[in-house]
Amino acid sequence: MKQLLYTEWLKVKNYRTFWIMLLVAVIMIPAGNYVPADIMSSRELNQAAKMLGQSPFGFPTVWQTVANISSYMTALFGLMLIILVTNEYTFRTSRQNIIDGWERRQFVYAKLIWVLLLSVIALVVAILTAVVIGFAYGNNAISLEGFSYLWYYWLQLVLALSLALLLAVLLKRAGFAMAIFLGYTMMLEQTLVLLLKRYVGPVGGLLPLQAGDELLPFPLVGKMVAASGDRYDDSIYLLFLVGYIALVIYLVFRKVLKSDL
Amino acid sequence: MSILSLQNISKKFGAVQALSGVSFDVPQGAVYGILGPNGSGKTTLLGIVTDVLKADTGSFMLFDQAAAARQRRQIGTLLETPNFYHYLSGYRNLEIAAAIKQRDKNDIARVLEICGLTARQHAAFKTYSLGMKQRLAIASVLLGDPEVLILDEPTNGLDPAGIAEVRELVRNLAGAGKTIILASHLLDEVEKVCTHVAILRNGKLLRSGSVDVVISRHDYLELAAVNNEALKSALLAYPGCTSVQLNGNVVVAVFNASPEPAQVNSYLAQQGIWLQHLQLRKKSLEKAFLEITNDPA
Repeated sequence: MKQLLYTEWLKVKNYRTFWIMLLVAVIMIPAGNYVPADIMSSRELNQAAKMLGQSPFGFPTVWQTVANISSYMTALFGLMLIILVTNEYTFRTSRQNIIDGWERRQFVYAKLIWVLLLSVIALVVAILTAVVIGFAYGNNAISLEGFSYLWYYWLQLVLALSLALLLAVLLKRAGFAMAIFLGYTMMLEQTLVLLLKRYVGPVGGLLPLQAGDELLPFPLVGKMVAASGDRYDDSIYLLFLVGYIALVIYLVFRKVLKSDL
Repeated sequence: MSILSLQNISKKFGAVQALSGVSFDVPQGAVYGILGPNGSGKTTLLGIVTDVLKADTGSFMLFDQAAAARQRRQIGTLLETPNFYHYLSGYRNLEIAAAIKQRDKNDIARVLEICGLTARQHAAFKTYSLGMKQRLAIASVLLGDPEVLILDEPTNGLDPAGIAEVRELVRNLAGAGKTIILASHLLDEVEKVCTHVAILRNGKLLRSGSVDVVISRHDYLELAAVNNEALKSALLAYPGCTSVQLNGNVVVAVFNASPEPAQVNSYLAQQGIWLQHLQLRKKSLEKAFLEITNDPA
């Protein structure tokens, strides 16, 4: 595993596109949280929030708020992963790595390392963002209540990155994979969720990324939706989220292990 | 020990049967040429051996063991095209190759020097010319001085000086006792270095084995006399002569073993035929190869 990590490090160490994208992706998390935190903490809105019993940017609710907002910023990490993987097909190094002495499954492990690394980087940045915002915009002492929302955020990231990996190994071309990934995560799934929820029922909430969204409602809105009772228990969404991750990773292995490179 | 042993390998791409039932063995120390016209299945075969393609049926062994990454790491392989990270320099690309092959990266300087890339080692791969890319691929093959090399059209994209250098390199490696599997459609490339050969056509193995056996190239005689018709009849009666053809002003006589010109001359003199021309000639590899690959059987 150490050897895989070292080899992947050699691939990106001098790859400027990667570092610039990582920088932008990482900055987007605090920036994306700072703007709503600043606006909603203006005096009037702050009063309104207090009447509802909690400030979304104070402890402990800030964990949930930051997890919710950060989950909109996942796409850039997905695009990074797509570039890292489709590069291997464009340069045909996916073949060369095997020829030179990797097992095919090691190629998959190497890319799963990126799923893990990128998701952990995003998680750590989101945690730091929540801590800073919680202190800056809230009046309460730090508390870990509701920290589990950040784990849901992380699981949703892992799923989104695994989907990006699957698209990359299936389609092999960066532009194609990116278009499908963005199209699906940004609009197509939302449309399906809406139609399913309207015409079928809460089963619409079980689509891959939506399962994560269901676990990550914006604090105050979520309470109102939950009160309407039209949803499953959190454990069901969690189960589906983990199930989807396992399924997608299985499909990646199956594709890479069985087909011609 | 067999370095590579293929049993009944078949592979289809859609409706195209790229390989059908190919079996042969590459012994240790052999320089094994895989010959065949374009599209005959050479690269597909080597792709299967290096696990980038999956055979539909059949199996193969490397070093008498089930083939796995550990065996591939002991083989330096250039398959089809040089595959490198375009945004990295030649040196950094070789660092990655060394990491995967688990070879010492201190060897990089040596292989770059052999391939004449030392001066350009820190330039990005995408700035290399076609020939330089090919040289880098050969450098990568040589990393860690492997005992076995697989070279698929190694002189592709090289200029005449480069081609000569690669041939010299292959000869030196063969001289050092390395086992080399060399796929090529360039016959003289194979003729000059190979000890064994396998000939493919349309995915079928036509022949395989040691070069002398596979491509039998008995010498033949070119003769001329005042009366070439009489010469032809006399030659046909000579023991071991299998065919006689009038080719312009000369008669071409083929024998089932290499002929002895003095004996033929003496025989013809006894028959009252005095030769104006007698020359021992060697069948060209091209001719022998075309005879094999054009044979409808």
